[in-house]
Amino acid sequence: MDLGLWIEWIVKAIILIVVLLIGFMYLTYMERKFLARFQNRYGPNRAGPVGLLQPMADGIKLIFKEEVIPKQADKLIFILAPVITVIPAWVILAVIPLGSIQLFGRTIDFSLAGDLNVGILYIMAVTSISVYGIVLAGWSSNNKYALLGGIRSSAQMISYELALGLAFVGPAMMASSLSLARIVEAQSKTVWFAVLQPIGFVVFLVAALAEINRSPFDMPEAEQELTAGYHVEYSGMKFAMFMLTEYTKMIVVSVIAATLFLGGYHFPFLTDRWPWLGPLVLFAKVIILLFGIIWVRATLPRVRYDQLMALGWKVMLPAALLNVFITAGVMYVLGMIA
Amino acid sequence: MDEQTAVPFIDVTREVDLAARFPEAVIVDVRKEYEGYIVNRDRLIEVATAIRDELGYDYLSSVTGVDYLPDGVMEVVYHVYKMTGGPGLVFKTQTPRDEAVVPSLVPVYPGADLQEREAWDLLGIRFEGHPDLRRILMWEGFAGYPLRKDWQEAYFEEEGKPFKNRWPDGQVYRIEDKNPYENNVQYPADFIPEEYEPENDALLYDSLKRSIRGRDPELETDVVMVNMGPQHPSTHGVFRIAVALEGEKIVALKPVMGYLHRNHEKIGERNTFLQNMPYTDRLDYLSSLSNNFGYALAVEKLMNVRPPERAEYLRVIMAELTRISNHIFAIGTFLNDLGAYFTPALYAIKERELILDIFEATTGSRMMCNYFRFGGVTRDLPEGIAEKIHRLVYDRLPQKVDELDLYLTNNEIVRSRTEGVGVLTAEQAIAYSAAGPVLRASGVPYDIRRADPYSIYDRFEFDVAVRYHGDTYDRYLIRIDEMRQSLRILQQAIKDLPEGSIQEGKPQYQVRVPAGEAYGRVEGPKGELGYYVISNGKPNPWRYHVRAPSFINLTGYETMCVGNKVADVVAILGSIDIVLGETDR
Repeated sequence: MDLGLWIEWIVKAIILIVVLLIGFMYLTYMERKFLARFQNRYGPNRAGPVGLLQPMADGIKLIFKEEVIPKQADKLIFILAPVITVIPAWVILAVIPLGSIQLFGRTIDFSLAGDLNVGILYIMAVTSISVYGIVLAGWSSNNKYALLGGIRSSAQMISYELALGLAFVGPAMMASSLSLARIVEAQSKTVWFAVLQPIGFVVFLVAALAEINRSPFDMPEAEQELTAGYHVEYSGMKFAMFMLTEYTKMIVVSVIAATLFLGGYHFPFLTDRWPWLGPLVLFAKVIILLFGIIWVRATLPRVRYDQLMALGWKVMLPAALLNVFITAGVMYVLGMIA
Repeated sequence: MDEQTAVPFIDVTREVDLAARFPEAVIVDVRKEYEGYIVNRDRLIEVATAIRDELGYDYLSSVTGVDYLPDGVMEVVYHVYKMTGGPGLVFKTQTPRDEAVVPSLVPVYPGADLQEREAWDLLGIRFEGHPDLRRILMWEGFAGYPLRKDWQEAYFEEEGKPFKNRWPDGQVYRIEDKNPYENNVQYPADFIPEEYEPENDALLYDSLKRSIRGRDPELETDVVMVNMGPQHPSTHGVFRIAVALEGEKIVALKPVMGYLHRNHEKIGERNTFLQNMPYTDRLDYLSSLSNNFGYALAVEKLMNVRPPERAEYLRVIMAELTRISNHIFAIGTFLNDLGAYFTPALYAIKERELILDIFEATTGSRMMCNYFRFGGVTRDLPEGIAEKIHRLVYDRLPQKVDELDLYLTNNEIVRSRTEGVGVLTAEQAIAYSAAGPVLRASGVPYDIRRADPYSIYDRFEFDVAVRYHGDTYDRYLIRIDEMRQSLRILQQAIKDLPEGSIQEGKPQYQVRVPAGEAYGRVEGPKGELGYYVISNGKPNPWRYHVRAPSFINLTGYETMCVGNKVADVVAILGSIDIVLGETDR
């Protein structure tokens, strides 16, 4: 194969991981700072100017923490579980299209595999894997809270993945492609799919909150009931891995939402003239979505487990199905499909 | 319909004469300054049933024991009230000290459950027929009954304070220097402390298994026992809930308490009367001024003094401010228990802070106020504070209460989490001796400030807040209602605040309390807070018992929880609003 392509891939992969890691660190900072403002207080402001070094301090603290492994735990799985959760969260980003520029006489795509023709299927497949990590973490800890958290989480993921998957179908139908790059292109020709697919967009946002275990669906780690749920026995860097997963998934889900429904790296007029702005435009959209996620956390109490299930199966799934039918019907009437 | 008509008509105005009704089983208590009746213990259940059904005293407020060491007698004291209001009735039963056995009143008044366990644990009175007579506050393997008068604690010094000089001849000594195993720790002869391994909770788990109910007969499942606590983020302290789960559903639940037990009552009996005042602060440490109030009332009954007018007003102002600060905090933490990430709690704490500022300016302390004295209060309002209270209760707080109401009450998730959850019917609430907001949310409009007015509450215009569903949502709503009513009282009190002295007679360190018994009770923020005090004329109380609402409200906790989900355990506990300092005493 072409050596240049290899170098390009490696450089892009490293950049992506570094961006994600820094994104994780500063997302924790952003969340703490915003939550604090929502709650009438200052938030971290001691480490560095306006607390900007707080994530480093947290990281250093976690590295020096004792790694406790319970005596009765299944050691191998206990150690493996955080790894199983964290890897899928990272590899999803490979298929997100970030736009491209002409450089050195060739087209350089900012993303790793943005043009993958089964991009949506890839996302669906990979996100489902990380639930194994959570279930295994809960089971291997030999702790009842952890087990309850793990069980809750598997039931929740299964219920909400259906709605999430069906929410993907709308944009895919409208773009007539499973490739994320095509979906973004289709949006740049018409309008954002959030406008054309309002039900799909809402279903996606709610299901995504459940998928990443964020408030008000943070059942598996419900502090008030299960102390910390599946990661109650984890400490030190293993605990940090779970946190890393949670925040990385927040970023990833926001990126997917922005790509599928908010035009991805494309912004009318702006990116048409300056294509190199693509990643920055996406970044801005992601920040806005992340702010929304944090806002929800500061505002809403948690729903109960059975209510969560009822919402998933009785409201979300029918709504998502309905959305697919309506989309198909309208497209048929307009003659967009045969 | 037939069942209802079968209930005998209760004439609430009828004069009580228990001794005439049971001539051979009941005698009038004729000891000086004592009241009520002494019931023969063999016929206790019969008499208690008659008191409940014929005389209409349907609410058992307090059960406690008293050790009359010189007479060789143990006495169990019951305080009962009518839910329609009015003064109460006291009846007692006696049993020899060496073999203290009394029939349990749980079949008549289920609210006696936890209180009888407490009397068994601390005084060694066995309640025959009690369904679940286990230790409750002391730990498994503890030897002796600490509230008995011949029991002495480790590092025992003297019977009562003030202790003798610890600097005899200018030489300091510490009581801790004495070997604790010398002669004041009692343990069985064959007991070796170094090799002691605590018993497990076999009794607790047995009891939990016995009370499993509501299982699905068609599903073959395993029941999982989960211990929530004592280290758990939502038990508001060191409280433990042993639950049996079927999936996420609760099939049995037992509260386990005593992790914060310090034998408040024994300390109280060593202290002088006045020294107990700061100790009461530590019961419900969120509402110290209400605690002071109850204790001051009980001792004032014994001393037969009444505070001057201005002091009465100051007491009411402080007690009602305490109620608001407690309720606003309770609502904040309750939302936390529902899973709202601290936002409502922090907004609530902000308002509570303003009230604490007033406490600090007036009493010198934000939480441990120690403000009441027998026949008055310690300090007058400093300059400017009356205006500050005025601004607070007329402008700021009504607005903030409305704000809480606006943002929380109709929140979709709050409603779906709380409506119809943890229901306690009016009959159950009365039977389980629930008090305060828990009782009133179940549709029983019983507020001591109205039903049996103390201090000057009969002068103010306010409504008794009442809600009728008895679920978690109503227990939340009732706190909003009560804050509004408290604000009404405060607005009247601060307007009419008279000038004058704040202490009857001159302030004293050592008060003379004549012999006798008294039960003083107030409507604390968490419910009926009662103090049963017996004096024998000495500087220290002979018996000092606290009827703690946080403790007794837990009697119905299992009934509220069974059949609900794990998440509801936490929400229901939050809606009962307990403080462990008071629960464990």
